[in-house]
Amino acid sequence: MDYVPSPEPAVPAGSAPIPVKIVVAGGFGVGKTTTVGSISEISPLTTEAEMTSAGVGIDDPGPATGKTTTTVAMDFGCVTIDRSLKLYLFGTPGQSRFGFMWDDLAHGALGALVVVDSGRLDDCYPAVDYFERLKLPFVVAVNAFDGRLAHDLDAVRWALAIDERIPIVAFDARNKLSVRDALLVLLDRALADAVRSQHV
Amino acid sequence: MRPSSPEDGPAPARIRPYLSHSGLGPAAEAAPSGLRPFVLTSGRVDGVDPDIGLETQVTARPDGPARGGIAVLNLAPELRTIIALCAEPVSVAEISARARLHLGVTRILVGDLRAAGYLDVHARDTARPYDPETIMRVIRGLRAIS
Repeated sequence: MDYVPSPEPAVPAGSAPIPVKIVVAGGFGVGKTTTVGSISEISPLTTEAEMTSAGVGIDDPGPATGKTTTTVAMDFGCVTIDRSLKLYLFGTPGQSRFGFMWDDLAHGALGALVVVDSGRLDDCYPAVDYFERLKLPFVVAVNAFDGRLAHDLDAVRWALAIDERIPIVAFDARNKLSVRDALLVLLDRALADAVRSQHV
Repeated sequence: MRPSSPEDGPAPARIRPYLSHSGLGPAAEAAPSGLRPFVLTSGRVDGVDPDIGLETQVTARPDGPARGGIAVLNLAPELRTIIALCAEPVSVAEISARARLHLGVTRILVGDLRAAGYLDVHARDTARPYDPETIMRVIRGLRAIS
């Protein structure tokens, strides 16, 4: 059965889909871009941005903190949900520095997937800490390279010192359905938060 | 009768190792490249409308700017590129990537083009959280992926 595109425009002229943003964070080389690429309907695009690495997100940067500006590359992809809804996945820049870039990324985001290499847990501490402070829903997704985890999920949870309410899942960044399932865990959590905030 | 609020519980007792210096500081920064990306914005680096986020959707106005505006053909090539990309709804991040313009520059130029009447910026009220129905639609859409 062939799909016959409707002759009408996808959306009324002058209107646009609602974008839903999810941040894909984690240390360098843990598979963020692979994660985005596995589920995105377009090849991940790269945009460059200035990042000011001042002590943003750190309680007391101290009086001597200098600001330096670097150009960082950020990969992103998207999934069209329907004519009026589009999901965007933004990978944080590889470096785990704090900066305005992170605030830009997190501003208005639905939640975050923190991708973790179970052999290099400390790479994701800044991301976990950042989203905790922001009270943004997040899920820790342990990338099982070759289907194996260096530590089981309970050990990862203990090592990251994350609250038991934060979901932690194992996934394969190269596998579309595995990425989808990790995102669904995050969306369930975001939905629970959204429902709760409606009843406050 | 006070409702319990689990979200306000005490922070985890243990401190993640190395967190105090995970900011990584400016020490290992690469030198800035030779590019001067903000030439196009006449040196402006701020004043960006905070409504213009990475995912914010932008469309070209079919009838262009009001009378008295400059014809699109007479604009700088970068501006013409942006307007052409916005024939269909497109995010600010996509404009930046496809036009090969710095993200910060893109945001400023999109803001300029909106002010001049070439573009519509469909800003979402980011102070409002996503409503449950929207999240449910994303969940259903993802579940349909196979």
